[in-house]
Amino acid sequence: MSILEVKELCASYSSSGPEILKGISFDVAENDFLAIIGPSGAGKSTLIRCINRLVEPTSGQIYFHGQDVTKLSLRELRKVRREIGMIFQEFNLIDRMSVMDNLLSGRLGFTGNIRTLFKAFKRKDIESALKLLERVGLSDQVDKRADELSGGQRQRVGIARALMQEPKLLLLDEPTSSLDPKISLEIMNLVKEMAFELKVPCLCNIHDVQLAMDSCNKIIGIQEGTKMFEGVPDSLNKEKLQEIYAMEVL
Amino acid sequence: MLWKFYESHKKINLNNEKFVLKADDIIAYRRRKRGRRFFIYAFLLVIVFWSVKVTIIEDTDWERMGSIGKVISSAARFFGVDFNLFPDLLIPSLETFMISLLGTFLGVLICIPATWFGALNITPFKPITYPIGRLLMTLSRSIHEIVWALFFVSVFGLGALSGIFAIAVRSVGFIAKMSAEAIEDIKPGPIEAIRSTGANGFQVLIFGIIPQVIPQVLSVIIFEWEINIRRSAILGLVGAGGLGLVFFRQMNTFNFHGVTAVITAILGIIIIGEFVSHYVRKKVT
Repeated sequence: MSILEVKELCASYSSSGPEILKGISFDVAENDFLAIIGPSGAGKSTLIRCINRLVEPTSGQIYFHGQDVTKLSLRELRKVRREIGMIFQEFNLIDRMSVMDNLLSGRLGFTGNIRTLFKAFKRKDIESALKLLERVGLSDQVDKRADELSGGQRQRVGIARALMQEPKLLLLDEPTSSLDPKISLEIMNLVKEMAFELKVPCLCNIHDVQLAMDSCNKIIGIQEGTKMFEGVPDSLNKEKLQEIYAMEVL
Repeated sequence: MLWKFYESHKKINLNNEKFVLKADDIIAYRRRKRGRRFFIYAFLLVIVFWSVKVTIIEDTDWERMGSIGKVISSAARFFGVDFNLFPDLLIPSLETFMISLLGTFLGVLICIPATWFGALNITPFKPITYPIGRLLMTLSRSIHEIVWALFFVSVFGLGALSGIFAIAVRSVGFIAKMSAEAIEDIKPGPIEAIRSTGANGFQVLIFGIIPQVIPQVLSVIIFEWEINIRRSAILGLVGAGGLGLVFFRQMNTFNFHGVTAVITAILGIIIIGEFVSHYVRKKVT
C-alpha cells in the first residue's frame, strides 16, 4: 500500500515565472527509502517542499494516506505536517535554544499555545526526547545550546527533532550536503537504521549518487522539473545517469 | 565631471578623431569649476552673515547682558552647590528613575503591535498594516519628548503619569524600528523547520522568530532606557514630574546653587543608569 502518491505535480514560484516542476508523478510505499537525484536546479528541493506545502504546488495532487494534501485548509494542513518529519541541509535548528528545546519543538504540532508560551511540554515528550538523544548518541549534550555543536551533531539533533513527531513519512532535503564524506555516511546510516526500526518511509533528496544507491531501495532521477528515471538502484547504469545529469559521467 | 567635459568636446569634434586630454583642457575645466565654487562660497557667507545679524545681533538683549565682566559674574552665580537641597532631591530623583523605567516598559508594550505591523515579513496585511506600523514609528520619533509631555500634561494633568506616557510614546519609534529590522533579517531556515512540524503562527513566533531576535531587541530596549533617564530628568520643566520640576523651581526662585545641585543629581542618576545599562547589555549579547 502506498503512503504517498504524487500525481502530475507542477510548481512555480510566481505565476509568470518558469515552471520548476513539470508534471511529476511517483509514489512511496510502506518501508520505501526513495532517493531523488538530479543536477542542481532540477527542482529536487521544490519537489520535497511541495509534499508538506512549504512551497505551494500550482497543480497536481499529493495523496498522503489517501488524503489530498493540496486541497487542505491551513488547519488541516498543520495536522498533516505534524505527521511528516523533515530534515534539512542546513539543519535549521534554533541556534539559541538548547538541544532539548530543539527536540521538543518537534512536538509543537501536538502542543497548545499556552504550553508553547511557557515551554511546558508534556512529561511523555521529554522522556521520548531523552530516549531519542540516547539513540542518536547525544545523551551528554542535552543542555548544550544548538550552536555549540559540530555539524554532524547538529544534523543528529535535526534527525531526532523530526523523529519526535512520530512521523508517518520522513522528508530529507540534502541531509548530508553540509557534512564531510565520513560524517555523511554516518548520518545516512543513522537515518536508514532509524527509518527501518520505526518503519517510517523516507523521501530523500541527495546529489551524491553513490550514497543514494547505497541507502535507497528506489531511485527517481529528475532533470529540469521532469522525471527522467525511476527504478531500483541496480537498474541505474551509466547511460541513465548521463541522461539525468545531461553530461558525461565518468 | 571631467568625463562630461570630454564628452562635450567630442560633440564639437565633427571629424570624430580620437580626443586626448591635454593639460590646457584640464586647466580650463578647473578654471570653470573654480568660478562656480567661488559663487557657492560667497552665497554661504552671505547667509551666515544674515543669520548672525537676525538671530544674534538683533535678538540679543545687549543692555541687560552688560559688560564681559558682568557676563562672567552671571555665570559664576552657578558656581557652588546647595548641599542643603540634596535630602529634598532624593524623592524626585527616584521619581525620575521610575518614570524612565515605567515609561520604557510601557513603550515596549506599545512596541509590540507597532513592530508586528512594521516588519515586512510578518505584517498581517501588507498594504494597510505596514504603513500604519511605519507611521507609528515616524510619528513617535519626529515629535520631541517635551512636546509629547506638554500633550500628556494637558490630557492627564500635572504629575509623573504624564511623564511616563511621554517617555513611552517617544520610545516606540526607535525600539520598534530596530526590532522590526531585526525581524526582517531573521534566517528563514529555522522558520521553515518549525512550520514543517505543524506549528501554528503563534508557535512559529515563539520558537522561530523571538529566539533569533531577542539579544538585539533587549540591547535596544536597554539602550533606549538609558536615553530615557536623560529625557525624564527634564520632563518636569513642563510639569510632568521628576527632577525637572525641582530644577524649574530653583531657577524661578533664583537659587542658582540649588540649580547646580539639581544638575549634579541628574548627572548622578545618568551615570548610575549608564553603569547598569552597560552591565546588562553585556549580559544579554
